[in-house]
Amino acid sequence: MGEELGPLQLIFGASIEVQIVILLLLALSVTSWCIIIQRYLVLSSAGRAVRGFEERFWSGIDLGVLYREGSQMQEEGVAATGMENIFRVGFKEFLRLRQQGNVDREAIMEGAQRAMRVAYSREEEKLERHLAFLATVGSVSPYIGLFGTVIGIMNAFIGLASQAQATLQVVAPGIAEALIVTAIGLFAAIPAVVAYNRYSSKVESVTGSYITFTDEFSSILHRQIHTTG
Amino acid sequence: MYSGYRYLVGLNGYPLSALAAVLLHLLALGFILYWNSGSDSSELELVQPTVIKALFIDENPQTRERIERQRQQQIDRQRQQQEAQRQREAEAQRQRDAEAEAERQRQLEQQRLLDAAERQRLLEAERQRQAEQERAEREQEEQRQRELAQQRQRELDAAERARQQEEAQAAAARTEFEVVQSGVALIQQFVQEVWSRPPSARNGMRAVLRINMLPTGEVTDVAIIESSGDAAFDRSAENAVYRAQPFREMEQMPTRIFNANFRTLSLIFQPEDLLN
Repeated sequence: MGEELGPLQLIFGASIEVQIVILLLLALSVTSWCIIIQRYLVLSSAGRAVRGFEERFWSGIDLGVLYREGSQMQEEGVAATGMENIFRVGFKEFLRLRQQGNVDREAIMEGAQRAMRVAYSREEEKLERHLAFLATVGSVSPYIGLFGTVIGIMNAFIGLASQAQATLQVVAPGIAEALIVTAIGLFAAIPAVVAYNRYSSKVESVTGSYITFTDEFSSILHRQIHTTG
Repeated sequence: MYSGYRYLVGLNGYPLSALAAVLLHLLALGFILYWNSGSDSSELELVQPTVIKALFIDENPQTRERIERQRQQQIDRQRQQQEAQRQREAEAQRQRDAEAEAERQRQLEQQRLLDAAERQRLLEAERQRQAEQERAEREQEEQRQRELAQQRQRELDAAERARQQEEAQAAAARTEFEVVQSGVALIQQFVQEVWSRPPSARNGMRAVLRINMLPTGEVTDVAIIESSGDAAFDRSAENAVYRAQPFREMEQMPTRIFNANFRTLSLIFQPEDLLN
């Protein structure tokens, strides 16, 4: 093992502190990849749901029919998410307030809008979940790698001190062993940073479409309340 | 619609993605292992030890002499046979070479004759083709030059016209209109800053106010010319104008422009920055 120098020999030949750091980095990398894939699934399905629901909403369908369709889906066990959830919450509140009879128009609008705002912030939170972890891994794991490298180099130099004659052959394995920790740190950090940037812009675009939809929907409600009374 | 998909990503997709992440890392590890073992085998080939062969040698001198003599005789015989064989082969080879040489000479002669005629013909054709090509190129070049000149002339004309137009426009724009625009924008900004938004305000609401102003910027009267449809909104806009006055910037306005545009000003009040 002393003469062969491959990545695996470096890792298994490293000191115990360095190996602990490597294990920590590997765990971070696995977790961040898990989140990357899970967020990808969630965000792409959210984008698709936005497109699908907008299409249905603007197809000229009656709002009551759309609401009942959603209720039916919910009974079948498919919970409304995203834009549809905002729509359902707002419309439910609107109907409830209007049925009470003696509530004034502005109060109905206010109530429906407040309900939609709450639903919006819940949906936003759902989309943004775990993104902070990706950002943390992206910024911290190079430092952890660096920490492992520093410890490894320290060990190498301590070992060097006992040698009478320091040749390159004595120094090189220790330094290579230390550097591989930095490499693993970067291996964990790069995908996390890329994914974080990509996903946060995606979240922004989806929540932007939620906001636009909320505005448009409340203007429709406003019109309805002022024409029918 | 997405039920199949939702089934795939059951439990919010966590199991699936955890599995995929672990697989990914195992794959990376496997790649490193493979790469490592590849480098191992190449190094092993390099450090193959040299093999030393050891033999027992019979030390009896007589036997050794006999064996030595026999081997010597055998070697001599072999050498003689080889010598004879070589001579025979050399003779045959020489003969074959001579024949081949004669054949080659004949063929070369024929080839030379054919080549000369062919080359002559080819040269002629090539010369003709070149002449034709040159003529065509010359014509094309002339045509292109002519077009280029026309194009340049057209571009120059267009540029000249555009410049003249631009100058005229710029001169007109820099006058009164600009001053009035900036004054109105300033007033709009001041009014919006102090405007307190009534709960019924919506994006896209628009009220037109008539403001009577003194040259000092003080407002004497505000009236709604065009209602937004919401009385609270109109009232709030009116109040905002009163709160924003006096517009001291009006003092620097040239009197002529002030009298023509600001003494009675129609202000469009349409805040755009609402969330809902």
